[in-house]
Amino acid sequence: MAKRLTLALAVLFFVITGALPVLSMLFRSIYIDGHFGLESYRGLMSSSHQWLLMRNSLALSSLVTLLTVAAGVPLGILLGKTDLPYRRLLTLLFVIPLLIPAYIIAVSWSGLLGHWETAGRWLFGLPGCVLVLFSVFLPVPMLLTMVFLRTINPELEQAGRLVSNWRGVLRGITLPLILPGIGLAALLVFVLSFGEFGVPNFLRFAVYPVESFTQFAAFYNFRAATAAALPLAAVTLILLWLEASWLRDKTWRVRPVAGAGRAPLIELGSHRLWLFVVVVCGALVFAVIPIVVLLFQSTGAYAEAFSRAGASLLRSLAYSAFGASLLVVLGFLIGYLVYTQPNRYGRAVDSLTFFLFALPGTVIGIGLISLWNTPWTNLVYATPLIILFGYLAKYTALTSRITVSQLAQISPSMEQAAEIAGAGWFRRMLFIVAPLAWRGLLAGWLVAYIFTLRDTGITMLVYPPGHETLPVRIFTLMANGTPQLIAALCVIMIVATLLPAGLLWSLLIRKNPGVGR
Amino acid sequence: MNRDIFRSWMLLLGVPGLMMIGCEQQSSVQTVTVYVSEDQVFSEPVLRDFERDTGIRVKAVYDTEEAKSTGAMNRLIAEKANPQADVYWANEPIRAEVLKQQGIASPYQSPNAQNIPPAFRDAQGYWTGFSARARVLLVNRGVKEQPASILAYADPRWKGRSVIANPLFGTTTSEIAALFTLWGDQKAQAFMEALKKNRVAVSTSNGESADFVAAGRYDFSLVDSDDAVNRMRQGKPVDMVYPDQGEGQMGTFIVPNAVVLIKGAPHPNLAKQLIDYLLSRETERKLAFADCAQIPLHPGVEMPPELKPIQSIKTMPVDYAEIARKMLQVQPYLREWAGL
Repeated sequence: MAKRLTLALAVLFFVITGALPVLSMLFRSIYIDGHFGLESYRGLMSSSHQWLLMRNSLALSSLVTLLTVAAGVPLGILLGKTDLPYRRLLTLLFVIPLLIPAYIIAVSWSGLLGHWETAGRWLFGLPGCVLVLFSVFLPVPMLLTMVFLRTINPELEQAGRLVSNWRGVLRGITLPLILPGIGLAALLVFVLSFGEFGVPNFLRFAVYPVESFTQFAAFYNFRAATAAALPLAAVTLILLWLEASWLRDKTWRVRPVAGAGRAPLIELGSHRLWLFVVVVCGALVFAVIPIVVLLFQSTGAYAEAFSRAGASLLRSLAYSAFGASLLVVLGFLIGYLVYTQPNRYGRAVDSLTFFLFALPGTVIGIGLISLWNTPWTNLVYATPLIILFGYLAKYTALTSRITVSQLAQISPSMEQAAEIAGAGWFRRMLFIVAPLAWRGLLAGWLVAYIFTLRDTGITMLVYPPGHETLPVRIFTLMANGTPQLIAALCVIMIVATLLPAGLLWSLLIRKNPGVGR
Repeated sequence: MNRDIFRSWMLLLGVPGLMMIGCEQQSSVQTVTVYVSEDQVFSEPVLRDFERDTGIRVKAVYDTEEAKSTGAMNRLIAEKANPQADVYWANEPIRAEVLKQQGIASPYQSPNAQNIPPAFRDAQGYWTGFSARARVLLVNRGVKEQPASILAYADPRWKGRSVIANPLFGTTTSEIAALFTLWGDQKAQAFMEALKKNRVAVSTSNGESADFVAAGRYDFSLVDSDDAVNRMRQGKPVDMVYPDQGEGQMGTFIVPNAVVLIKGAPHPNLAKQLIDYLLSRETERKLAFADCAQIPLHPGVEMPPELKPIQSIKTMPVDYAEIARKMLQVQPYLREWAGL
């Protein structure tokens, strides 16, 4: 009873924070002046501007997906399966752009290339967006390749080596076995680039999330904004269907095989040096140079940056830390439900979390305002609760998926034994399951913290007066703020992201030396 | 074991929760809420000075560049039945006038508004203007003979050599709407069509237009005077021209900031204090010397040498209330013109 009630309440809470705002927004777009109608959607597909937006959005996401997978998979193999020197250090360097907000990388590249007219012109548009998002999302296929490589039984490759060289083994055994991981990486990169708001907005490239934001923020037209969001929702549903029908069962219970750490490394031989140089150059260009540029540009502007944004920084840290904790709790309950009830209900809840994750933050933000902007709900609308609700709506998928993969690694007999001994559900969760899953919970907290800290799509629309976060402040100061000030704020944002991430990561490694290898 | 688990949960929820409460803790300090369309980088120091001078805390919502300076106004409209703001600091009077027409503004005659010319304030006190921008031509120094009128946009001599910010947004919309009120629909539409024929480029913002001219991609653009002064102070090879100053010409379009008391404001008395502060000579002096370089409307306020006193500029004779009404009417035409 306690279990059912708690899980049902968790789902209900998620529906109220996540699904209801989107439904409210949809309702307001078709219920006009006391009657139902589709006026808002008329002309949606007849306008050439809509087709341009769709073409731009698809071109950007497809190019970024194609390029990151093409480069990320070989990079993952090089860093996860060969004797390339300094593999861990290089892995860490490549991961840095993923941890910091993408628009900061865009600010940095514009600071670097903006001095040359041709390069600056090239940066502002599709090529610049592709460059920035490529460097930000490259670690996704790289890391997933490395993770899935650890799920391959080394004996399969060893057997292959008896009859073929490494190239043949990679082509015939390794790559086919990690194909679901590559598919998941491609899907994730596509979803993240399709919903990306900050980079195309900064680099002035017209895509749907920017259009939806502009329609709402510039005209406050719920109906037009909802209509502009409809194609986004349609593409999101297609991606959800792809994920559910092809990838979900193959990817959500990833478990490293025993002895994966002892799998033989590919010896690069004479190729070792030039491959090392290429990888180091990649790390320098995509991870080190953008940060160095910001450091140089920001010299002398830190006092002003702290004076202007100190309070926003503290707020960002507090909202993200608390939001991440709530996400861990909600994600744990929903993940538990999805894992223990692999039926229609469980799948529907899982699909809803993924749908909201894939939906651009601007759309969720508009939905939240549409639902909560009334004199009776100011407890939510006029307080930071609305920001937290936005975080829960968008990012629960992250913590619930991490919970599912963590629960898959815990033997069900542990919980069953406690149940036979008479322990109630709460006690089992609190004293058996949660402690056994603590690494997953901590990793989930870290991922949730990073995503909520960098959020702009939701926060920029819904923040109540006097509650703006650091990313919002960076965006509002971009209008006529000096490049030095913006660079200093970006550096502060990077430190605010990397410092807690580094501390928790080192805690994870210290408690479990297997992590990170 | 139990203690370890208790500690873990405290660490997970308790510490971040306390951080959150710490950030939100309200002291007994009085608070006024203001929505601001003026760039944060310029408006925030003024609001901070107000906090320092009065001890009243200011909670602000700022517009972003992407919301085209209309986000705050539209948020006020959306919150009509649930007002959160006390004051609106608009970066142009048209938005303030829209609020008046929508029943969101409340009248207030500030004692500090007495010396502001009547052309720049609402007669009933629904909004009051201060610190203005002029709509100027920013011209690249490489151009031999500088344009002196906005009609240069339609002159074949400048075919493909000029740029204008998207007329659907910001001060460009206001100026186009002003031309519609001044010339009538037929002449104004003919002018807009002439712009198309003359291959005038459309940028996303006045700032981008100014950058294009500074980089030499185009010869001139109509921008706000703060964009122009900003590029001049950066040492870019550009000049600022106040257009249409000659005999018989229509004059330069002036865009003052405007401040509005919100109807149903949660803190009306504090709101009036803030409005008085914004309309003071001292605030105008600060905004003149800031990088936004805005022209004071009070007579005799000190200002930097790049600026002309408002009395020495031939200003476009317009009624901002009429422009606000016209702006709503011409939106569909402008959308069509811009291909949206």
